[in-house]
Amino acid sequence: MNIQEVIRTINRMQADGVIDSYAIGGAVGATFHLEPVSTLDVDVFISFRPEPGSILISPRPIYDYLTARGCSAEGEYIIIAGWPVQFLPPTGPLADEALSKAFVHDVDGVPVRVFSAEYLAAIALQTGRAKDKARLLQFVESGILDATAFEDILTRHALAERWARFQQQFLSDTP
Amino acid sequence: MTPDLSAILKSKSLYRQRLAARPVAEKLRMLDALRERALLLRPASSSIVREDPAPYIPGKTR
Repeated sequence: MNIQEVIRTINRMQADGVIDSYAIGGAVGATFHLEPVSTLDVDVFISFRPEPGSILISPRPIYDYLTARGCSAEGEYIIIAGWPVQFLPPTGPLADEALSKAFVHDVDGVPVRVFSAEYLAAIALQTGRAKDKARLLQFVESGILDATAFEDILTRHALAERWARFQQQFLSDTP
Repeated sequence: MTPDLSAILKSKSLYRQRLAARPVAEKLRMLDALRERALLLRPASSSIVREDPAPYIPGKTR
């Protein structure tokens, strides 16, 4: 069970040309900015490469690469160093932009690309499950969000109204 | 005993801030430990403890 080995494996995949850019999102991504957020899997957003001669994108090269190196597939996950890892295409324009603007962090000398706090918060607002709202509250309460950058993202991705509702529901003294 | 809720909440907030300020490598090791704990509590049939996936958000909005 070693999430740093997951990061090293993803970097090797990138160096070997299996994936182009990647960024870690979800709770693991949030942990780079907040206190550790308990999670059951690792979400890795990647830009999928179409297979030669096809316009369809496929995760097969990733699965082939990793299973050839001893990883096992289990459902939609592939198990790397004991962690279920899900490779995801950007789930819409917001995640697409988050991927292109991800930051590189250093973990004990190992580089890792991670969504910024503002994009993670915006994605949590857009996704809107209970745990996403809880994560968004964590970001707000932590005080680490760049308000200008966050509101710019919300405006460009038509999330301003949803943000106003969230503020009214969770950040207002008057319910 | 009169519990002072505001003091408890402040203490929790400070603890979370201290955790957030830990080096990333240390926080990732905490995630490893948290997942190992989750696996101890899971049904024995799978190494996967499933989460509901986030919905796909179609359409360009920018």
